[in-house]
Amino acid sequence: MVFIVTALMLEAAPLIEHYKLKKDMNINNYPVYKNDDITLIVSGIGKIKSAMAAVYILSTFKCKKEDILINIGFCGATSFKYNLGEPIIINKVKDMDTGRDYYPDVYCGKNIKKGTLYCSSKPMFKEDYIDNNDTFIDMESSGIMEASQKFLYAHNTVILKIISDFLNPEDLDKEILKSYIKRNLTSIDEIIDELKNLNHSLRNPFEDEEKAVNILCEKLNFTEAMKKMLFKEVRKSKLKGLEPLSILNEFCNIEVKIKKEGKRVFEQIIERLK
Amino acid sequence: MSRLSKDSNKYFFDSIYIEEDALNYPITKNIIEKYNASNFIVIKHYKDVFNRLNQNFSVQKQNQSLILAVKNKPFIYRGPDVCQNFGYSNFYYTSFLLNCIFDCEYCYLQGMYPSSNIVAFVNIEDFKSEIKHTVSKETAFLAASYDTDLIAFHSIIPYMDYFYDFFKDLPNLLVEVRTKSANDIFYKTHKPIDNIIIAFTLSPHEIIKKYEKHTPSLDVRIKAVKAAISRGFKVRICLDPIFIGDDVDSFYEPFYNYLFSQINPDDILDIGYGFFRMSKDFFKRIEKIRFDSLLFCENYSLKDDVLSYPDNLQEKIMEKHYKILTKYVDRNKIFSL
Repeated sequence: MVFIVTALMLEAAPLIEHYKLKKDMNINNYPVYKNDDITLIVSGIGKIKSAMAAVYILSTFKCKKEDILINIGFCGATSFKYNLGEPIIINKVKDMDTGRDYYPDVYCGKNIKKGTLYCSSKPMFKEDYIDNNDTFIDMESSGIMEASQKFLYAHNTVILKIISDFLNPEDLDKEILKSYIKRNLTSIDEIIDELKNLNHSLRNPFEDEEKAVNILCEKLNFTEAMKKMLFKEVRKSKLKGLEPLSILNEFCNIEVKIKKEGKRVFEQIIERLK
Repeated sequence: MSRLSKDSNKYFFDSIYIEEDALNYPITKNIIEKYNASNFIVIKHYKDVFNRLNQNFSVQKQNQSLILAVKNKPFIYRGPDVCQNFGYSNFYYTSFLLNCIFDCEYCYLQGMYPSSNIVAFVNIEDFKSEIKHTVSKETAFLAASYDTDLIAFHSIIPYMDYFYDFFKDLPNLLVEVRTKSANDIFYKTHKPIDNIIIAFTLSPHEIIKKYEKHTPSLDVRIKAVKAAISRGFKVRICLDPIFIGDDVDSFYEPFYNYLFSQINPDDILDIGYGFFRMSKDFFKRIEKIRFDSLLFCENYSLKDDVLSYPDNLQEKIMEKHYKILTKYVDRNKIFSL
């Protein structure tokens, strides 16, 4: 699953249209839009709201570590060497209140510039920013990082920022801002594809076997330790080129009434798997 | 994914993290100049990146980043019991680098570190001071290429160049540099010194293919062994780890015979011999990462918190192997645990 968090509806709208997302009417806490593959949540502005929304969506949809979370939103740039509407993938987030740094592993967006992002808890204007660093500023990224690091692999959180201003975030034209997102939809598609490919190799090749072992262990009242041992033997058997699923199936209809009987069946299964 | 950049023969790091305190060291400056196309990220402490939650070891291995850091004390450690000391009671090891560019399925580093990114320490003078201090008190054996492969990393940071004169001036210190690399530039550009041993880890080519991803082939490694010998370096052959099983047992006899048809046994210093073994804790961690590895599905025997093959099996295989090896090398030149 790909999870997208945006702060504003205006950031979300082009994505909802592009990915043909439908509003999830079962969820009232946040605006959530979905298709089979992508779930988007609009968090509101600020790092606390972004952290809450990220935790909400990752928990509600029972994310796995192999899932992807992309924070797509606007940022200000401190240097005029960048162009408005230009995308930046963030490799370091610095929370301006706590001084804490976050580092997503960036393995996507080869052709997109990478940079450090400062996360502020209030809108930042040119006159407020006294450092002379060439950097970017937003208001959500540290919340996203704080939340996602508990749930996902470090390479599966992407902070994608699009430059909306040069620290003059007032009176920005909404249509122009939307066009910045639209202009970057192809890059967003590519980022999603790259990460999906990367995660493909992480898929558990024993998913079916794991399910079968769980069902069998429940049916035959095997203990957790027995389940662990059985799964190890099943894995080994599959890696040796055998077909453990069909062996497990043979034992599916056996009834076990007493513990001793269960132990005997367990030993039989292990023997068959070897 | 190829780790070599397209426009040169350089190993490529997409991201290079640099500790604030490491910025002004010469090694850092060289790396910044050499890898100017990489993304440089300034960090406070290497552990902020290296010890993060939820890093995926295998994904990182395909996309390794480099972390330049300043190491704090200690700079050398007492050698662990699972490693051979080759008869030296004062056995130490040091780590200028954490992690390795190779990707061996059996490698204990996967269970030791939370990340497969490479940490390179830039404060080499601090290492030198502590090594010198230790050696001033006693004769010592120092394994300098544990937890990594210094020769394989030589084209990125030539630690062996930086330490060559230092080691040369410490006759009380015997240094072992263990490698699987075919890079022979160090042997070609330096004269051999009495207290450096180049220890080549060699395995049957079937084992290399099966378990030692991204490492040079047996023949290319043998070529490097020959290059080191021809330049007069002391060479140790490490037959470690040895695997046991119906599917691998037959590989070893032809391998030993081939090895000594290529290398004159009189030209080598000695042989290190050891079976696949690993601390129980590392094994448990790797079992979770390498869920598709048959090696980590097998049942091993546990002794002193170390998992390995049962003693009787080890003895049987060892006897068989020693029978072949002693055709070429004196028994007292073969060291095992």
